[in-house]
Amino acid sequence: MNFLKKILERSGKLFEKGRPLSWAHPIWEATDTILFSTDKQTDSGPHIRDNMDIKRTMFFVVIALIPCYLFGAYNIGYLNDMATTDVSRSMFENFIFGMSYVLPILIITFVSGAICELTFSVIRRHEVNEGFLVTCALIPLTLPPLVPLWQVFIGTAFGIIIGKEIFGGVGTNIFNPALTARAFMYFAFPTRMSGEKIWAVLPDGNTGATALAIPANSPKNIASDLFSEASNVAPNYFDFSLWKMCWGLIPGSIGETNKILILLGAIFLVYVGIASWRTMVASVSGLFFTAFLFNILAGFSTNAMLTITPLQHLLIGSFLFGTVFMATEPVTSAHTNKGKWIYGFMIGVLTVIIRSVNPAYPEGVMLAILIMNMFAPLIDYYVVKSNIKMRIARNA
Amino acid sequence: MFKLKIKNGHNVNIAGNPDKKFLPTRHHSSVSLSPENFRYIKPKLLVKENDSIQLGDPVFFDKLNPDIKWPAIASGKISKIVYGDRRVIKEIIFEVNDDKEKSLQPNSPNGLSSKEGVINYLLEKNMWPFLKQRPFNKVANPSDNPKSIIISLANTAPLAINHHFTLSDQQEYIVSALKHLKELTDGKLFLIVRPGEFTYLSDLEYIDLVEIEGPHPAGNIGVVLNHIQPINNKDIIWTVEGHHLPILGKIFSDGIFDPSITINIAGPCVKKPSYIKTRLGCPVDIYCQDNLTRDDVRIISGNVLTGKEINLDGYTNFYDSSISIIEKSFERSFMGWLHPGGSSKYSIFNAYIGDNKKPYRFTTLQNGSERAFVPIGAWEKVFPMDIYINELARSIVANDVDEMEQLGIYECDEEDVALCSFVCPSKTDVGGIIRKGLDLIYFDG
Repeated sequence: MNFLKKILERSGKLFEKGRPLSWAHPIWEATDTILFSTDKQTDSGPHIRDNMDIKRTMFFVVIALIPCYLFGAYNIGYLNDMATTDVSRSMFENFIFGMSYVLPILIITFVSGAICELTFSVIRRHEVNEGFLVTCALIPLTLPPLVPLWQVFIGTAFGIIIGKEIFGGVGTNIFNPALTARAFMYFAFPTRMSGEKIWAVLPDGNTGATALAIPANSPKNIASDLFSEASNVAPNYFDFSLWKMCWGLIPGSIGETNKILILLGAIFLVYVGIASWRTMVASVSGLFFTAFLFNILAGFSTNAMLTITPLQHLLIGSFLFGTVFMATEPVTSAHTNKGKWIYGFMIGVLTVIIRSVNPAYPEGVMLAILIMNMFAPLIDYYVVKSNIKMRIARNA
Repeated sequence: MFKLKIKNGHNVNIAGNPDKKFLPTRHHSSVSLSPENFRYIKPKLLVKENDSIQLGDPVFFDKLNPDIKWPAIASGKISKIVYGDRRVIKEIIFEVNDDKEKSLQPNSPNGLSSKEGVINYLLEKNMWPFLKQRPFNKVANPSDNPKSIIISLANTAPLAINHHFTLSDQQEYIVSALKHLKELTDGKLFLIVRPGEFTYLSDLEYIDLVEIEGPHPAGNIGVVLNHIQPINNKDIIWTVEGHHLPILGKIFSDGIFDPSITINIAGPCVKKPSYIKTRLGCPVDIYCQDNLTRDDVRIISGNVLTGKEINLDGYTNFYDSSISIIEKSFERSFMGWLHPGGSSKYSIFNAYIGDNKKPYRFTTLQNGSERAFVPIGAWEKVFPMDIYINELARSIVANDVDEMEQLGIYECDEEDVALCSFVCPSKTDVGGIIRKGLDLIYFDG
């Protein structure tokens, strides 16, 4: 280790101000501090500091995502195994089969993300922010397994550059960069980001609709009936019972399907103190409230989406994944605690509205969060304004 | 009596808490008074090197407010005046002559029954710098009319002195000091205490006791004021350090300036963390000799959150009541951000396996590099005031004075937000930001 430390220390001199490689100092700093924790001393302010830093914060979010990756890969293999009559694979083989789809997406995302982040940190002379690791870890989980890799590359670059860097980098961005990437891909490459053929790796002739697409395409029905019907009709073999949707062996984006693992991730992030439980609770309440309201209104409409019960809303699609990992993103969410309640609640409300009222966009949570990202500063503004008003009244 | 329960905050569990024991008293051959301990003043010297001097004699005054003079904190002679760049006076060092100090005769003052009387007496005795004001945390202005006076006898900072212990034999002087300080305001005189401490004060009808419970910064005057009497835009609040009360008491009852104080020396690198009976501006080396567990240490005058670094041959600062000593560490652990936890890591987040129950040996390591601020609610966890600190900090960074005022900058001081910097994962210096805002307002307004 000392050998490595010495190499880093010596090479570091090349990157100092005025030396030929000074332009690449952010890259050297990132490598140096990833390998060895910094020996930077406290100078002003408190002489002692907590051992938590941004590296560890971001790393924890990545840890919370790892189970989703593992299960996502297994699910791809499992669904393929189930739909293919002449093949039978073990659990591990299913996992390897799925990994052969997930890994390329993951690698391309990180390559694209790293290129953008490093380029910008060199041009803008800001330090490499570990936040991009989380962005890059999130993007593949929101994608269908059959997405073309070149689209992944462009989408990630768009998310990092337009979603983050043009606003000044981490801390000053308005939109969640991972969701910006997802939304961009959804609208730019609609044929490869929606429809029935992309959510599972299946043999020719089979289709795998997501749970959300089923009622969206069949008006004048009760959603629950449609789900149980879909479970019985070939070639849609997939069981859309509540339990199966919870356990996640259904077609969908790579990381969204297993709700139990997402919930575990949520508990972990709340426990370590990184994600806000307020946003999560508020968001689920908003979803339940609106879904319940729509259930009451369902009798007056032919829209089958209105009949989806609150619990089904919670379990289908990426709502939980979005709530836990995207809505709680600290920079783009509301910053005040009161604001987080409003922000989260509105995400829940908008998700159901977008899903149900306009079934052309079945995945409402992505748009709901992006819309609320936009409104978050406004919510904070009014929350803070009430504090200011109180102070002005006291001064008068 | 007010009872105040503070929820948000954190008692930093740092090793080297002082025992309730005294180190043997040492002889002080020199002491120091530094004009740099006083904010926003322009000092002008009244003495020269080698001048002979008596305790309490004026040493320098503030050109911006010539009525305020600073007292000699020892009898003897001025042994050295240290200048910095552009001849800024950094330090005035006194050579102590014990015999000369003992020759002082008590004389009971009179005319202390009115506000003017007390102010004039303190100015005349050069004792005014003991009074500080909020906002700005600077020496008070005698022509101001303070809304109230508040004194904290419950220091909740890490490794801080326990006033109940150090002031236990000073009851008479404390009461005398409080009685006369009350003359200075038409408002209330608040005293912050812990439950069950200083019970004799509850008999004094001119005092409003504030009983606080909860973690640091519960004992800070800024935090308490925010709950019981928030500082409005034009309000001035005066305050005195708790450990200075006996000095003021003696001045009021006996007319003698006795610079003795009780402070502590503590921290992970101190062999015998304990209390010391010493005096204002005392040298630290005599207490560090044979009392440190290692050589590469940082010596801090004040507590580890808000104190200032001083050299081994330096002196404690005027308002400080402790000497804290921590290890200077340059250790770089391999992939430190992956560390599982255990006794070598301390965090208020549940970010490491194992708990923080065992006192932790903090070092000068920043434990991470500075990054763009990511608001994961860390500051709010340890900031118990009705102020949106994140928004306030942003308005300061943007130099928006109107918004700073609206968001309550006058109610804050560096010490109130020190824990925010302590916990911040982005390693932001929140105290520095608050100070920048206050400076901006002070110099512009």
